[in-house]
Amino acid sequence: MTEPSSRALSVAVYLLVTNGVAALFLGGLIGVVGLLLLSALLAGSWWQEPLGRRIERVPRLGMAIVTLGVVALVVQIALFAEAMLHIFAHLLVFLLLVKLYTRRTRRDARDIAFLTFFMLVAASPVTTSVVFLALFVSFLVVGTWLLMLRHVSNEADEATPSSLGRPPALGFGRDLFGLSLAASAATIVVTGLLFVVIPRVGQTALPTRPGGARIVSGFTERVQLGAFGEIELDAAVVMRVHLARFTGGRAAPEAVPSLRWRGIAFDHFDGREWTVSRSTRRSVLYQEWPAPFPIQRPYGGPVLAQEIHLEPLGSEMMFGAPRMLRLQNRSESVMIDDLGNVAVATASARLQYTVESEPELGDPRRRRIADARLPRDPRWLARYTQLPPMSPRIAELARRVTTGSRDPYDAARRLTAWLSRELAYTRVLEATASDPLEDFLFERRSGNCEYFAAALAVMLRTLGIPSRVVNGFQRGEWNPYGRYFMVRLRDAHSWVEVFVDGAGWVTLDPTPRDAGEAAPAGASVALWFDALRMSWYRYVVTYSFHDQAAAVESVRRAAWSWSAAALRPREWREVPRGALAAVALVVATVVAAAGWRRRRSVTASVAVPGFYARALRVLARRGLVPGVGETAREFARRAGTAPWAAPLVPLTGAYERVRFGSAVLTPAERAVVEAALRDLAAAARARPPG
Amino acid sequence: MSLDAIAARLRPRRTIRPTRDGWWCLGAALALGFAAMNTGNNLLYLLASLLLALIVVSGILSEHSMRRLRVSAVLPEEIYAGRPALLGARVANGKRWLPSYSVTLRSGARRLYVDRLAAGEEVLLTWESTFAARGRTRLPGVQVTTRFPFGLFVKAGRPLLEGEVIVFPVVRPVGDVGRRRPTGSSGRALHRRGRGHDLYNLREYRTGDDRRLIHWRSTARAGTLIVRELEAETAAATRIVLVGDGRRDAGRLEAALSEAASLAVHLVGTGVALELVGPGVDVPAGRGRAHQRRLLTALALYDPRSAAAPAAPRGASGASEIEVVLG
Repeated sequence: MTEPSSRALSVAVYLLVTNGVAALFLGGLIGVVGLLLLSALLAGSWWQEPLGRRIERVPRLGMAIVTLGVVALVVQIALFAEAMLHIFAHLLVFLLLVKLYTRRTRRDARDIAFLTFFMLVAASPVTTSVVFLALFVSFLVVGTWLLMLRHVSNEADEATPSSLGRPPALGFGRDLFGLSLAASAATIVVTGLLFVVIPRVGQTALPTRPGGARIVSGFTERVQLGAFGEIELDAAVVMRVHLARFTGGRAAPEAVPSLRWRGIAFDHFDGREWTVSRSTRRSVLYQEWPAPFPIQRPYGGPVLAQEIHLEPLGSEMMFGAPRMLRLQNRSESVMIDDLGNVAVATASARLQYTVESEPELGDPRRRRIADARLPRDPRWLARYTQLPPMSPRIAELARRVTTGSRDPYDAARRLTAWLSRELAYTRVLEATASDPLEDFLFERRSGNCEYFAAALAVMLRTLGIPSRVVNGFQRGEWNPYGRYFMVRLRDAHSWVEVFVDGAGWVTLDPTPRDAGEAAPAGASVALWFDALRMSWYRYVVTYSFHDQAAAVESVRRAAWSWSAAALRPREWREVPRGALAAVALVVATVVAAAGWRRRRSVTASVAVPGFYARALRVLARRGLVPGVGETAREFARRAGTAPWAAPLVPLTGAYERVRFGSAVLTPAERAVVEAALRDLAAAARARPPG
Repeated sequence: MSLDAIAARLRPRRTIRPTRDGWWCLGAALALGFAAMNTGNNLLYLLASLLLALIVVSGILSEHSMRRLRVSAVLPEEIYAGRPALLGARVANGKRWLPSYSVTLRSGARRLYVDRLAAGEEVLLTWESTFAARGRTRLPGVQVTTRFPFGLFVKAGRPLLEGEVIVFPVVRPVGDVGRRRPTGSSGRALHRRGRGHDLYNLREYRTGDDRRLIHWRSTARAGTLIVRELEAETAAATRIVLVGDGRRDAGRLEAALSEAASLAVHLVGTGVALELVGPGVDVPAGRGRAHQRRLLTALALYDPRSAAAPAAPRGASGASEIEVVLG
């Protein structure tokens, strides 16, 4: 192996090693201390050859180290009882270090490449980070380069020299890297295709974490008033909502007004806390996946489909735009109640699911939906107008604000407007010993969204209007790169649902708008990176059999619609002119390229050898050009009259042998030809033109 | 269509088998695929897809490298037993614009490697081979193979250059005994250039002239290289007669055939009309290089088992005879 290729192989090996160690770190299989220690050991192994020469040979040192390593692993298994994945990762690290410190041959490079690949394998069950994609691609590029480099070096070493002495591995090294990049690109494309088409027959489609998933805290399944503290402005993204389609809707789905993601509704208030009452009817739905679960009966309006990608929140509630009609996820059962709350016990099934909702559009008073009539059951009314004993000032205030209202919904709107206009929003909460709602409405006159929602719901109930408090998330920030809403922890929100006869439960949000929704827009780079993460998560990490079926179906539909369109010539007129021009340009380019290739191949078949062409160019610069019909030998004879052009004679002889005798020049002949070319060029330079 | 032809058509153009690395890759892909199916982890699916993609890309690139490669044999006109013969193969890339990479020509244990062959380029690969015995011999054949690009699989084309060649008997320089004029020789000068013994002319040295013919005295006088031209000599005919059939002693037979071949080469070189007769062998008199090959071919293919009765001498032509006893 030549020195440069050996060095290149070493560089490739260490790049792969870096990649593998980074994968282990990403998966949490080695900590920061381990990473630093390992980095130092890896750096030391770069100089293993000079190190080995300096250190005296210790008999059986290698065997002792290997034995120690095995003992350490056994102890780790027996005493520390760590997850097998950690032990597997440590074994990989140990073998890697042994290989790096003892590497001698190219086979060791292969073994190291395999070990680093299995480091990626070890990290794969414990990470979903998009950084894994970067590591994967860099492994592919460097690994391809290493494999090709090793292949070429092996072949050159094993080859028998030809009798004509053609040295192996000449010139290949120059474009080896470019070639490996092209091979990497091809491999990425094929990997993508295979990844998409390999049938998903596994039981779970989500990663397992030995140490438990990091749970994002912030969303609560209760509304408690009177506590003190400060609401966090945590910008961590907890949910990404991709609006897949808006069936029957006229506007773009992202333009649907007042979108929010409903989590849990509460019907019982004890004066300090909103909870779900014990009388709530709960039922468990069983369904064979992948059919969706029916949650509520549709009212016949436009249906918005949302793909929701949720971070682990520590809550069993499923989020979606109200009113949730259907839910599709990877679980066999869901639990629903008569508050419209949906819960799923399987944690992995909550991380990615699809919800179809019927958003509230237009004035609810105009609706006359038979299924949304006010129930006549007094128990139902009592449930949603339940109130604890409280100050009469609140009811008095509610009556005063709603004086002159035409209907309950008008009263609710007046109260909502009054609250958001008259009271202030604050994130700083102070503990109150007395009635927190009275304190909020009459003393402090400021609070967070929970106070606003609780106040509205209570005031509505004092007027006999059924209402309930809802916890969930505001719409979040629109990501134009990935076309989804990024919902952050700080978007956690509370609002109110009021029952409107003929329209059902209608959302009202009394929290001052600017306080709730104003959030600093993310930088473009951050949005782009988040879109990349979303794509990674959506198309790779959570890719499923359902997605495969949907992809096949969409391809089938596209093929059908295309073929149907092709059969209707009139539709061709509707094709944009720009697209037609682009197609015409592509066709013209292909035709021109084919013609150029044909000409080139014809030219190539009659082409003169390169060295003779160079000689002719040198002579042409000094005014010596072959005449029409003049043979090479005649030209050499004519040019040879000029003493400086004498080197043309041997070049002509070589030219005749190569061109007409199909001879291949031996290395000695090539050397003679090169010398003659140099002489000719030097003589031509020395002589002035003319 | 014969069965052989059908079998030849059904035989795949290329064979492919995994190398040791290839087996590792296949095994790892299978194991990862199993793990992915078992866990449903998409990242494992991704890594298994990567290994499978490497195999696919390897197949595509190696096929591309092998496609439109033309291999043609370059064989010497004469191959002598016991003497290294220079065999060769021209490998040409018939593709219009894409190069072929990392192609190996295997012939027996030999591996001749071509790292890169540009579009339309042709390379001559040569190797020496020594054939131990005279006669009709099958060439070892060559096979174009490649492990490009990752060394995971060996892709091989159909074996080529498996034809037969005739290996002439061992030819040695004839000694003084061999140089003796045959019995009854009536060699006389023909007053034309030839390869006899008498001087015909002196002229300037030209490329390709035998350096042994340089006339040093005239060279010194003229200040430029001068060579001798010799007169052609002829005889009415010289006949090598193979005596016996050589069935009893194979070693003796081979030595005798070698002697006959050496004599034939020498005598044809001197320009005599040479005839060869023996058991089952009858090559009429003739001159020149082509005739020499006819004589050597007859000697190479001599088989004592199928040797017939000796051919009758062609009349009393006055041809001198050299007897070579086959034993």
